[in-house]
Amino acid sequence: MSIVTVQLGQCGNQVGYELFDVLCGDALEGQRRVYSAAGCERFFHQTTRGELVARAVLIDMEPKVINQSMSRASRSGMWSYGETAHFSQKQGSGNNWANGYCVHGPRHRDAVEELVRREVERCDRLAGLMAMMSVAGGTGSGVGTYVTQCLRDIYPKSFILNHLTWPYGTGEVIVQNYNSVLTLAHLYQLSDAILVHENDTVHKICAQLLNIKHISFGDVNRVIAHQLGSVLQPALTADSRGLYGRNPLGELVSALACHPEYKLLSMCTVPQVPSVSMAYSTFNWPSVLKHLRQMLISNTKMEEGKLYRIQSQLSIDWQVRPPAGSERTRSLSGSGFNRSLANLLVLRGKDVYSAETGGFEDPALYTSWLSPGEAFNSWKSPVPFNKYEKCATLVSNSQALLRPLDDMVGKAWNMFASRAYIHQYIKFGISEEDFLDGFTCIEQVISSYSQLH
Amino acid sequence: MRRRTAAVSVEVKQVIGALCRLLAAAGLEPVPPPDNFRRAKFDGGPEVVPVENRKLVEAGLWQTGYHADWMYGISGGRGGEEQERVCSRDLLLALGWLLATGKLEELLTWRVQRLDKTLLTPPPVNPQLPNKLQADSASLRKLHWLIGCLRCQGRTLLSMQEERTHLLHAVFFARIASSVPSSSSSDQSSAVLMEDCVCVQQLCDLLEAYLNWKRVEKVFWTWMDSVLDCHLTDAVIKKSTPDAPNGSARVCRHGNRGLGKLEEMLLRLPPGQKGQRRGRGDAEEGGGRRRSQGGSDTSCLPPLLSSLCCQPSLSQVYRARLQTGRPVRHSSQPAEGPGGGTETPDELPASQAAQLLLHTEALLLERRDRQRLANRTQLQEMIGRLDELVLIPP
Repeated sequence: MSIVTVQLGQCGNQVGYELFDVLCGDALEGQRRVYSAAGCERFFHQTTRGELVARAVLIDMEPKVINQSMSRASRSGMWSYGETAHFSQKQGSGNNWANGYCVHGPRHRDAVEELVRREVERCDRLAGLMAMMSVAGGTGSGVGTYVTQCLRDIYPKSFILNHLTWPYGTGEVIVQNYNSVLTLAHLYQLSDAILVHENDTVHKICAQLLNIKHISFGDVNRVIAHQLGSVLQPALTADSRGLYGRNPLGELVSALACHPEYKLLSMCTVPQVPSVSMAYSTFNWPSVLKHLRQMLISNTKMEEGKLYRIQSQLSIDWQVRPPAGSERTRSLSGSGFNRSLANLLVLRGKDVYSAETGGFEDPALYTSWLSPGEAFNSWKSPVPFNKYEKCATLVSNSQALLRPLDDMVGKAWNMFASRAYIHQYIKFGISEEDFLDGFTCIEQVISSYSQLH
Repeated sequence: MRRRTAAVSVEVKQVIGALCRLLAAAGLEPVPPPDNFRRAKFDGGPEVVPVENRKLVEAGLWQTGYHADWMYGISGGRGGEEQERVCSRDLLLALGWLLATGKLEELLTWRVQRLDKTLLTPPPVNPQLPNKLQADSASLRKLHWLIGCLRCQGRTLLSMQEERTHLLHAVFFARIASSVPSSSSSDQSSAVLMEDCVCVQQLCDLLEAYLNWKRVEKVFWTWMDSVLDCHLTDAVIKKSTPDAPNGSARVCRHGNRGLGKLEEMLLRLPPGQKGQRRGRGDAEEGGGRRRSQGGSDTSCLPPLLSSLCCQPSLSQVYRARLQTGRPVRHSSQPAEGPGGGTETPDELPASQAAQLLLHTEALLLERRDRQRLANRTQLQEMIGRLDELVLIPP
């Protein structure tokens, strides 16, 4: 019933800090004893003095971000990281996946495993492990992949969820696509489910919905933390028999990622409003759910704020933006309709039992070989989350990530074709065959998702 | 060669030993030693079923669908009404039947549910598979999905089990560490814990025995083949000098036995039907000869028409009668008198014949139900009187 989080690299540690901050704030809010107890037990360990210590291990190859995160947590006064629950070195991984995977990972394996083991032993029951990292850099991606592999070896029966932050399309790291391809290819075999947030999408949410003028990584990370937290906090599930579910990762995986070829999960949350407008906004479940459904079908991650004319429930009248990319991507998802394999709806807030989720059970939304009864699940919690009176999050195993994935592979392949920067990977122990294997694996994933009819 | 045979027989003994341990762990005491099994193959050993339990054994076996000669007091070739001695090989074959029909797994499930009181019976999972399974990609993907789902559930259960063990361990050690002077409640709780401990130990033994058995089961079935061969060979030898009740030529002993049983059944019917039977005797003979000789070792006619086996033979006889133009008549009608229609030519109008048949059917069904109820009541009375036997109804 407890989740141990492993925060890897700069991004992983920053997002992780924001996540625990949101979780703690939400758990301690108001007079919600059962919910608070469940939430605290899941993510925090209570010391003899009643202080909350995050069930987390922080790993990075340079000390700066870890120190920042730890000190900020302590300053909050509500929670902190374990004093010894971190591992860092003096020099980073140089944005090189091979450096992280082949050199740093094996070198520091024992230390990292020991830290995780200590956290796991503190749990009465391990609900699973969550590794948080980005795929663009060297530590998060390379060391993160290696650590996931080690965790899989040590805990073969536990549920392992990887939360990945995908970089901006026009990101700063030249070799980010190499790192991304290699990470995804390896994680696909190791992980039970891969939850993805794209920086581009979250950036847009910050800009257009939250009206933030100068968007920092902190803002982006807070949005990610809000979305992630809304899924991971305690909820009433179909299997939990009237109590808050005690097996969140297991239920997530069995609701969405049973098929070994389909493990990529994307999320979107409604509503997302600036905190200043919160007091003036009223939400009702029908409009929230309608927006969410529109977003699912049209594969937009944010409410566009425009009025759409919808002819029938499914055939969408507006012009779906043609994908900016090659001919190839146009044919990926056929008509532009986002077909889902499975969906999980998490509803939190007032009057949650009156929410009608029938719109998500339409068989046309799903692939033909899985009935809506099996493909759609919903979790509910009558407790408002993170100051939103009503909040709905959709975790979707669908074609939504197909285009970004294809773009990523396309760019990586273009670079690989001219063997650009390959020598930097070869010198640390990754061969061209490993690259080719990675490409093959991702192409297979793309093909599987393209064929969802 | 001799060494191989010796090695094989040692292996068989070990395999049977595994089975015996499993049966003992499942609570079926007393279990005969493995050597009894081996001797049973060669039909050795004394009369193993006490007379008072014999009817129970027969009834129990019949309910599982097992039919053997000795259960009906019919011995092929010898005729007469004396009850055949139940030899140990017959019982061994019956045991083989029970194992093959999955009775062992049923028994184990029942026993596990008694030992582990925390087991929740899971709701039945309906996988919603299509009726005809196609090997196309959609079905395969669905299958993969379902397998993945099951794996998730398995892992969840495993972690729940670990948590439970962890908690029990903590409770138990807290109890020991606290060293409180014994009061009634702590005595109670420790007694409960001890009981739980014993149950868990028995459960572990049972599951381990089952695993061991499953690993070597194939060897057992190979050996049972040889037992069956012995049985069939002996049966053929016994029948090589037949003592035919009717004196007519025999084509194959399976069909002959079917006829013989039918004869005997009809002999036992109320006298009012005897006339009919005599009239039908020739047709039956003819039908019997025309009937293709096949059938398994265990095909024999259970009381009064409630088995599928007997239907083919009856319909064969049926057909034979129709071909000869006789009026349609069921084999065992209520006493209507022999003069009903045996001699008259095919002049019975169809509607009357239909009515007659329906009436007959209703009466027979009623009689069957009454008989079943009586059997069941009798069985339950007998079980009630005995201490150590448990009736597991089908």
